[in-house]
Amino acid sequence: MDNGMEAMLETYLYETNSLLDALDELLVNDEKIGDFSSDDVNEIFRSMHTIKGSSAMMEFNSLSTIAHHIEDLFFYIRDKGIESLDPEHKKELFNLMFRSGDYLRSEVQKVENGTPLSQDQEIDSFANEINAFLKKISNTQSDASEESSEQSSDSSSSASADTVAGLPHDTEAACFIRLFLDEGMGMENLYAFMITNALQEEEFVFRCYPEDVETNPDTSAEIVENGFFLAFDSQDMAAQAEDALKGQAHIRSYERLDNPSKKAASAKKTSDKAPETSAPADTAPASKPAVPAPTPKPAETKAPVTPVAAAPAKAHAPVKQSLISVNVAKLDSLLDIVGELVITESMVTSAPELNQLSRDSFDNFMKSARQLRKLTDDLQDIAMSLRMVPISGVFQKMNRIVRDMKQKLNKDVHLIIEGENTEMDKNIVDSIQDPIMHIVRNSMDHGIEETAEERIRAGKDPQGELILSATHTSSEVVISVTDDGYGMDPDKLLAKAADKGLLTKPASEYTKKEALNLIMLPGFSTNKAVTEYSGRGVGMDVVKKNIESVGGTFSIDSELGAGTTVTMRIPLTLAIMDGMKVTVGKSIFTIPIANIRQSLKVTSDQVIYDDYGNEMMELMGAFYPIIRLHRFFSLETDITNLDEGILMWVEANDHSYCIFVDQLIGEQQVVVKPFPTYLNSFDLKNYGINGCTILGDGSISIILDVFGLHSAVIDEK
Amino acid sequence: MAEQTASTMDFNLDGAPVQEETATIERCLSFQVDDLVLFLSTNYIVEIVNDYPITPLPMVPSFVKGMINLRGQILPVLDIRLCMDKPPAEYTGKTCILRLDLDGVPLCIIVDSVCQVLDVNLQSVRPIPVKRQQKLLNGMIDLGNGNVIMSFDCNVLLEKRY
Repeated sequence: MDNGMEAMLETYLYETNSLLDALDELLVNDEKIGDFSSDDVNEIFRSMHTIKGSSAMMEFNSLSTIAHHIEDLFFYIRDKGIESLDPEHKKELFNLMFRSGDYLRSEVQKVENGTPLSQDQEIDSFANEINAFLKKISNTQSDASEESSEQSSDSSSSASADTVAGLPHDTEAACFIRLFLDEGMGMENLYAFMITNALQEEEFVFRCYPEDVETNPDTSAEIVENGFFLAFDSQDMAAQAEDALKGQAHIRSYERLDNPSKKAASAKKTSDKAPETSAPADTAPASKPAVPAPTPKPAETKAPVTPVAAAPAKAHAPVKQSLISVNVAKLDSLLDIVGELVITESMVTSAPELNQLSRDSFDNFMKSARQLRKLTDDLQDIAMSLRMVPISGVFQKMNRIVRDMKQKLNKDVHLIIEGENTEMDKNIVDSIQDPIMHIVRNSMDHGIEETAEERIRAGKDPQGELILSATHTSSEVVISVTDDGYGMDPDKLLAKAADKGLLTKPASEYTKKEALNLIMLPGFSTNKAVTEYSGRGVGMDVVKKNIESVGGTFSIDSELGAGTTVTMRIPLTLAIMDGMKVTVGKSIFTIPIANIRQSLKVTSDQVIYDDYGNEMMELMGAFYPIIRLHRFFSLETDITNLDEGILMWVEANDHSYCIFVDQLIGEQQVVVKPFPTYLNSFDLKNYGINGCTILGDGSISIILDVFGLHSAVIDEK
Repeated sequence: MAEQTASTMDFNLDGAPVQEETATIERCLSFQVDDLVLFLSTNYIVEIVNDYPITPLPMVPSFVKGMINLRGQILPVLDIRLCMDKPPAEYTGKTCILRLDLDGVPLCIIVDSVCQVLDVNLQSVRPIPVKRQQKLLNGMIDLGNGNVIMSFDCNVLLEKRY
């Protein structure tokens, strides 16, 4: 596979995946109403047509076959009108479509992973299922339906008349290249289209006949019979194109033919050609209207179907706005550079040399510097926002999971989605999908009561409720999954943990919160039976790890008999933050500005001691513990006396305390870098160390996690 | 097979890969840690740097000296002396930091000095015959001139079994 092929594959995967996503969403929405709108039928038909076409082009047989059969099915439905189906059939159709979507998705995944696709047998059995359904619905209407499945394959009835004679009629062309494709491939039109694409990419200027190969499968027959013609305005161009064609697959033979009907028109200058090439299809002789796809009765279909290429994933998906797809790696490097730029900017504006400027020129400099600051800030905001995507994509997938589980587990559950437009960093959205899915499954499986009677007895609405919500706070996104099911019983959890030998202290000493947190231990599962969805006891610990890997925190809150809420707090972005640099001995630490309430100088006599000798401060009428960084991290420093150093009064997640450091260096924006992989095993996060950053002079500074430090020092005591 | 005479004295680390038919011959870097001479396949070694400022890291075992910023990449640094429970030594001009890539995990180790690049026939590497606590070494070889060098098992670094 050469580069062009790889780029095509990438586009193919992107397009197909977004179509399947849109399909899923559409199905879930429609199923709620219990009906397809005719627009949706058209939409499915178009998506399937696109998938069929592009899969055939990429030679993914299984995908194109299945998509083809679904297309047939929907062609029939579209033709007869969705109203003609009775509710029973509609229900069946939904199930069939969900399964088809899953099947296609699994095949696409195989393509992504480079594993071999399903073999004919498997494809056939699934295709037969679709056909059987098609038969069923068509029989009930005692209507001959065979035609529909045949129609979409080739029938050369509408082949255009003037190309049958051989050379197309094109007075502009100096010569033609006539291609014959490998025999017996099927979908010749798409291969032809693929070849034209490849040539266009190499900036050849030409027209092709038949011209509507992309959209009209009927042209296949024509191509097989007469060959596929490329018309060139100059011999030179044709000769170069011949060279390019040598690199193309599936070409049996090609020949160059001079154009007998060429007129004086060839004298025209190239200036004429430019506009022509931009829309090659338009300039060609108007042989027939480009009828896209198999539509035998175009007059009846609502609104002419747009050419397939334009169809993918518009409307229907609130998730997708008008988008261009950009390689994430490019965005990452953009963000990196912007990060470095911001830091360099603050290095320049705080350079000590500036003090040597005269007062006037210093003022001028600062004026420009402020302007620069504003611009870099804006640039940074934009660069960050580029990576932000709404979380709705993930939430929509949960919709589907809830729907599937509802059926399988026979539970009536209503899923409420809140704040789906909350935006988060793309990387984070990707990495929280699995955790959220796991939690939703857990809630569905274990959380919600088995039967409606059970719920009624407990005085609840017979229909269970699952709330998926996302909200913004200033620096983090809070995602919560709430169910109104059983709730968790701390005593049961403790008993279970004791069974498994997971307790580290006597059960009576566990607080409720600690007991709930037990389910996050590896190898803990409260469900007695392993189900398809959960219960294997790998799970919450993995969820916790995943959430922590993106810098988030994870907490469980549960009221026995009232339900469970799982809350994930995830930082908006990990990339850049404002930090305050402080020194302890030779080390430089960075404290996130967002966490700092105040920095203060104190004298020893202001300090209050408890019976263990723990130091505390009274600030604004409340008492706060003092954490000496040098002591906790065992760092060597000369400054151990509270009078000499400085206290940073910090706050995170309702915990407030003071950190004692040697000295304050100043504020700086820093690019947060994760620790090298090797160090992950040392659990630095548990000691309040969050990551590191490279300072302007190339040295490394460690970023403190104010909340983690508190847990490590105070809670451990 | 000229390569089996085992002592090419150049320091060209990214030299031509050893050819297929001499698969048991591996190009190795030998280096000194305390009184031991160790060798390690150059496949693992990305580069050798010396005299880099190391940022210490709290809350880690003492053999993790800290991190270095190598052209924008932050890498952990281990002191092999301390990994082997040898007495720590002052870092001098000869002290080298070897940047390793262990199956995608970047890691730096500090050694006393780097000796040479040589071709080692892996088949003539013998197991160490004594029962030891020391797990960082997994073989020894006699170079023929009375010098015995030890095979350094860098993958153990990742397992932290030492």
